Amino acid sequence: MSKGSKRGGEADELNLVPVMNLVTILIPFILMAAQFISLAVIDSTLPAIGAPVPVEEQPEKPPLNLSVVITDLGFTVAGAAAVLNPEGPPVEGAPPAAPAEGEGEEKGPTIPCLEEGCPTPQSYDYKELVRLLGVVKDEYSDEENVILVPESRIPYEVLVLTMDSTREDPNTMVDGAPRLLFPFVVIAGGAE
Amino acid sequence: MGKKKPRRNSGEGALSITSMMDMMTIILVFLLKNFSSQDISVKSSADLQLPLSSALKAPKTAVNVVVSRVDVIVDGVKVMDLESTTDEVTGQATVVVPEGELKGQLITTLYEKLLDKAEQAKDIGARAGGGEFDFKGQILMQCDKRLPFSVIRQVMYTAGQAQFSEFRFVVIKTRE
Repeated sequence: MSKGSKRGGEADELNLVPVMNLVTILIPFILMAAQFISLAVIDSTLPAIGAPVPVEEQPEKPPLNLSVVITDLGFTVAGAAAVLNPEGPPVEGAPPAAPAEGEGEEKGPTIPCLEEGCPTPQSYDYKELVRLLGVVKDEYSDEENVILVPESRIPYEVLVLTMDSTREDPNTMVDGAPRLLFPFVVIAGGAE
Repeated sequence: MGKKKPRRNSGEGALSITSMMDMMTIILVFLLKNFSSQDISVKSSADLQLPLSSALKAPKTAVNVVVSRVDVIVDGVKVMDLESTTDEVTGQATVVVPEGELKGQLITTLYEKLLDKAEQAKDIGARAGGGEFDFKGQILMQCDKRLPFSVIRQVMYTAGQAQFSEFRFVVIKTRE
């Protein structure tokens, strides 16, 4: 106050000190509450191993039992063989070909890793998985479920990236949004 | 100008706060823009790195299970420790649930805790008269991206046994 009066007839400068105090207190407070990363969630229902849980899930047989097995060799895409692959084995690389059938254990993965043994989560071939699932979706456009069967050693990150790949195709846009593939994920117990 | 100078020299010099105010105002606006009232909060640490994902669905409040590389936390309360070990086949460092905690696939301590939570949630649902507060068995899972699926599976199985059947995996958004 004394400083202000010293200026006498001149227009008083606004006393900003209380405002400064306020702002200085506000900043740490907001800084604490600020979220610099934004979060999202991926929904998934109970895995098949959770047996005695009261969920009204009828064991009705879906027409396409699409499942993606994740191993340290790559992805194996399987489905109800008779439905998926009526006219014999799929043709390698041909776009309308259906993916491999369920009993392909000795054949190795449908989509092998980009690098031998899949040392990092990025060495899985997600692009090819998206392409393949796009082909399946073309044929079974009503189907929305996919079962993921990861091996025990598979890192969680690979699981999330696989869920991203099975959910939507970022390269194909439908009405301004990525084309939905199989958004409903069920995570199964998985192979040891 | 000519009038001011001698006065400054004679008296105590006043600090010019205006420029500092400008700065503060800009910071304030920036922080307010970042301010979000998300339902859940994440305490990121070296042992809890959430995976990145293209998912867009906004998170909602539910029972919060954090599985980091060292421990399991339910709604902010630490439930148990995890054990670091080396994988027999690959020889790489990995994380397992301690043998003593396991009963088959079930993690006993976590099961009891989650069962408590389920009972509480049901109680609240009953008192509130159903509707929005009804127990739906939703559970938020915050898991470290390097955890092996075996640990995730055991946690999911345990949650499933404790009547939590809708899993929501919390991830970091990579797009808007």
